[in-house]
Amino acid sequence: MSNLFLKVVSVIATIAFGIVVAACSVSPLSADEKPKESEASTASLTTEQRLEQGRKIYTQKCASCHGEKGQGADGEYDEPLVGDDSIGELTRRITGTMPEGEPDECVGEDAHSVAAFIHQEFYSEAARIRNRPPRVKLTHLTGNQLRQSLADLYAHFSGSMWLEPKHGINGVYFDGARWKKENIKIERVDPVIEFDWKSDGPGEGIKPEDFFVQWRGGLKVNETGSYEIVLRSSCAFICKLGNFNREFINNRVQSGDKTEFRKSIVLTAGRVYPIHIELYQRKRKTGQRPANMSLSWIPPQGIEDVIPERNLLANSPPATFSLQTILPPDDRSYGYERGLSVDRQWDDSTTAAALEFAEITISELWPAYQRKHKKDPDENRAKLRIFLSEFAMVAFRSPLDDETRKFYVDGQVDLAEDDAEAIRRCLLVVLKSPRFLYPSLDQDQSPSQRAATRLALTLYDSLPADEWLLKLVRENKLETPDQTRAAAERMLRDYRVRGKTRELMYEWLNLTHLTEITKDEELYPEFDAALVSDLKASLDAFLDEIIWGESSDFRQLFLADWTFTTSRLEQFYGENWKPEKGEDSSLVKSVSAPDRRLGLLSHPYLMSKLAYRDSTSPIHRGVFLIRYLLGRTLRPPMEAFIPLSPDLHPDMTTRERVTLQTSPQNCQVCHIKINGLGFALENFDAVGRFREKEGEKPINPLGSYTQLNSESATFQGATELAKFLSNSHDTHRAFVNRAFQHFVKQPVAAYGPDRLDDLTQTFRDHNFHIRRLLVEIAVIAATPQVSTPDEVQP
Amino acid sequence: MTDYTSRRDFLRKAGISAMGVNLAMGLPSLVRAASKGENPRKQRLIFVFSPNGVIPKHFWPEVSEEKFELTRILQPLEEFKSQTLTMHGVCNKIKGDGDGHMRGIGCLLTGIELFPGDIQGGSDTPAGWSQGISVDQHLKNRLQANPQTQTRFGSLEFGVMVPERADTWTRMSYAGANQPVAPIDNPYQMFDKLYGQAKNRKMLASVLDGLSDDFRRLEKMISAEDRRILQDNIAMVGELEKDLKVELAASEKQSDVGHAVPTLPPNVREVNDNMPQITRMQSDLLVNSFAADFARVATFQITNSVGQPKMKWLGIEEGHHTLSHEPDKNEEAYEKLIKINTWYCEQVAYLAKRLAATPEPGGNGSLLDNTTIVWTNELGKGNSHTRNNIPFVLVGGGLGWKTGRALDFKNVPHNRLLMSFCEAMGQPAESYGNPDFCTDGVLTGLV
Repeated sequence: MSNLFLKVVSVIATIAFGIVVAACSVSPLSADEKPKESEASTASLTTEQRLEQGRKIYTQKCASCHGEKGQGADGEYDEPLVGDDSIGELTRRITGTMPEGEPDECVGEDAHSVAAFIHQEFYSEAARIRNRPPRVKLTHLTGNQLRQSLADLYAHFSGSMWLEPKHGINGVYFDGARWKKENIKIERVDPVIEFDWKSDGPGEGIKPEDFFVQWRGGLKVNETGSYEIVLRSSCAFICKLGNFNREFINNRVQSGDKTEFRKSIVLTAGRVYPIHIELYQRKRKTGQRPANMSLSWIPPQGIEDVIPERNLLANSPPATFSLQTILPPDDRSYGYERGLSVDRQWDDSTTAAALEFAEITISELWPAYQRKHKKDPDENRAKLRIFLSEFAMVAFRSPLDDETRKFYVDGQVDLAEDDAEAIRRCLLVVLKSPRFLYPSLDQDQSPSQRAATRLALTLYDSLPADEWLLKLVRENKLETPDQTRAAAERMLRDYRVRGKTRELMYEWLNLTHLTEITKDEELYPEFDAALVSDLKASLDAFLDEIIWGESSDFRQLFLADWTFTTSRLEQFYGENWKPEKGEDSSLVKSVSAPDRRLGLLSHPYLMSKLAYRDSTSPIHRGVFLIRYLLGRTLRPPMEAFIPLSPDLHPDMTTRERVTLQTSPQNCQVCHIKINGLGFALENFDAVGRFREKEGEKPINPLGSYTQLNSESATFQGATELAKFLSNSHDTHRAFVNRAFQHFVKQPVAAYGPDRLDDLTQTFRDHNFHIRRLLVEIAVIAATPQVSTPDEVQP
Repeated sequence: MTDYTSRRDFLRKAGISAMGVNLAMGLPSLVRAASKGENPRKQRLIFVFSPNGVIPKHFWPEVSEEKFELTRILQPLEEFKSQTLTMHGVCNKIKGDGDGHMRGIGCLLTGIELFPGDIQGGSDTPAGWSQGISVDQHLKNRLQANPQTQTRFGSLEFGVMVPERADTWTRMSYAGANQPVAPIDNPYQMFDKLYGQAKNRKMLASVLDGLSDDFRRLEKMISAEDRRILQDNIAMVGELEKDLKVELAASEKQSDVGHAVPTLPPNVREVNDNMPQITRMQSDLLVNSFAADFARVATFQITNSVGQPKMKWLGIEEGHHTLSHEPDKNEEAYEKLIKINTWYCEQVAYLAKRLAATPEPGGNGSLLDNTTIVWTNELGKGNSHTRNNIPFVLVGGGLGWKTGRALDFKNVPHNRLLMSFCEAMGQPAESYGNPDFCTDGVLTGLV
């Protein structure tokens, strides 16, 4: 009983949540779709006559519930009449279901006319853009943009990170429990830190009872969130994180039986944190203890694991800052985060963030600056003033005029005799200033400055802080699209873009808010948290390999016949999950399996997420495909349904049960689109394992889809579906739209009504090169619009 | 019902002699009477630590129940002689792992052994952290558990020039087994802990006007449609400004009654030569935080066990610990050590003076009347590393013990003194630390 109840809730929750997003997003549709001749051919009416007829009928029979302009009517039908059905689909729908309760009243030619009218007037995307042209809105930094901007303000003074090819962590092993150059016995890159030397010591020439190890490297973080770092050792150790002098865990004293140390910290995506561990095995008069050491973590929503080699970099990165202040969630009413809401909670969080940043400035940036500028003159605290002015310039993405400098820097320094106090005051005003919080309040800035601001905001969610970029601004070298493109291409070679791209892929695959995947323990006893964690790592590696590999070909996301695997995955999913080369228990590329595997669609992380605990869910899969991968609009279901229980229909396949339940005409309006897509994936069971049969019955994976251009397609199973999606204009357009929204955080139509189609065409012309697309998006965002809506209006 | 201003007052009025005190205090009904007054007296306790032992000859006064003579080192306490109690003969008898210094500081307030570990001192076996909670943290927990004695922080851990190094020699206070509490030795950091929030609110209030002006300046640059979000922002800043005014006015009113927020001299760096100034800043913050009733218990750890300050302001160039190892016959070192100990005593005296000059908020007398400073040390004598006759000099009336005396307990385990602290603070304990040293109960003859 309770199981059933859970199912209902989950269906309602999933579907209802999805609807909110879809209903509010601008659905992709070819920009100027007009009633098609073919659809009007059976009638003798001209287009004008048909529209006029449609208007009359709509006013008489529809407007009382749907509103004069399709905006909806209180208490009748609240939802606005908007969507991406073609006129033909609308006609069928009106014929079958409208007016409510009396569907016979409006059929045939009448229904066709009404459909044509509403499509032209307000329903279609083109109508909506025409009626209310989207504009580039002034927004404040989103939470993530604030977090990233602060990280780069810090990096401006500490140095920027490069793409480091060497993974693992540098270990230096000494004989004797202290740093002494001549006692170095081993210098090597350790792939991970997980050692149990027992009483033998780490290697030749090192006394097991008296040694010292220093590890140093970078911790690369791909997702923003709270990480619990777990260090275990029978020895004394010190761990520094974020800065080689910033203590994180201090176990300088080995005491009693305490061997486990845990501490949580918020880390930011696309950043590399210096990590430094010193381990001391000290000679004791009393019983010597065996030596061991491990470095693990629990990533956000993950499970505890030794920090893998792929997240460790064997070099010394510059110091990094990660904001710990908790920031309120941003407005997502457009389907992507935007800084639109102004309220006290947001304001309080910006204050807290400013004060937190002030403390790290006082303890790290300012002392380092003083050391670097020891010999500079310091009359009237000149050094402090120059330091704070530089800080304000980077934060404001602008040089300082006299008035600005007077209020933000000199005024604050003059009010506080104590340097730390002056820094606190100055940083509080600078980081609370509209000049920092509203990045596009920059109409008075140079074209190059404005371009750099937008490039950094688009690609990094941050501000220009790297010296090379600031130099281009000073030299006015970001004025043409070619210059901007060259800068964007350089910026793309950066972990920050990788972090933001990962977020895009999670948005596109609707995985951002996924918390956990659990399955029926009796049916799938080995499908546990560790396996799910491996699946996620496999998907992440797959995405990275395609996007950051040579061809960066979007179609490969659907067509690749390999994936990434681990020994655990191979054991669960069988021989198609063997490593490509030899035996390896870590995450490696798998063998090809062209018959059973095609890219993302067959990936169990996705397939098991889009399924119930004990059975598949063609509806979840279909809704996901249509809404996310194909970018189409779906209306919410008329009411919430409990899926038919397999127990009550033991002879039916899942496909048959779903077909039965969604057969009423009201359901078919949407399910005609949903089911056809979901059924094509029926070869993958609730945990994403390939199957030929469900119970005793063979799987029927025949699927279908009607495209935006009204053409329909059929496919036999996942392989054909994957091929179809990789070539589908709808898929391409949906991805380009999603990428633009995610990177720019403005509607693409605000950059021109044809911009989405043009950009989709460019994407195709460049062999679906994803990185190239990101560059083009950044160039569009950074190029001044002809009559930009955010210019001063007379 | 009669009001008693203190335990002593109660005992006096109830006509109980010092001899009968322990018996009387064991009686539940009498205990209740003592603590049930409408305004129970606020009792406070400060542990001041200075390192490396003392020069006993110039430290310990001759035993006297009545009038005692201050020694050379204790001279700075002249003004508070009648409120001073010296306790000779209290010994730290904890054995086990760790060298004398480590056990000296690690067992001083915990009364229990150190864990085996890997920190090797100059002698003995290596050790780790203490196996138990220290008495300051224990009392804090007890006081915080009772709404009547609860305060904002419960306890505060002050330090002066404690090295940036967490090890057995730098930690005196423990929140539990294996849980050393790091003292805050940066006065600005302590200030932020005590007043940071209020100060930041004030700072925020002071910049909002300027920010609003800048908002308005920028507003002119943009379209009417975009101006809306900025105007919303300006309106919100206005609201915040109003709210902050109310909030700050209320807290100002409060601080008029209690105490004013102290002002620290700017830009004092944590370097050896600033030690006197930092000690003073920390003392001021401590007194202020007691006046504001932020806490009832504090530790004040000046340097650390084996501390090496160079007291150049006294004309001493050598580090304290190095000097403390010199034999008594090295007259120059001997003299310098007396000077160093005297300097520490001056710091205790300054603290006492500030407490005495601060009236007890909402009560009778001064803060010192209701606060006991316990000045202690990890060693009895530096060059022998003995933990017999640990310096315990008490100043003030917080514990309600009879002061103006120089006592000798003749070799009792210091655990019994820790128990006495608990009892005097209204939190009697069956034992404290290692129970083997507690069988004889609390010390007698204190009241």
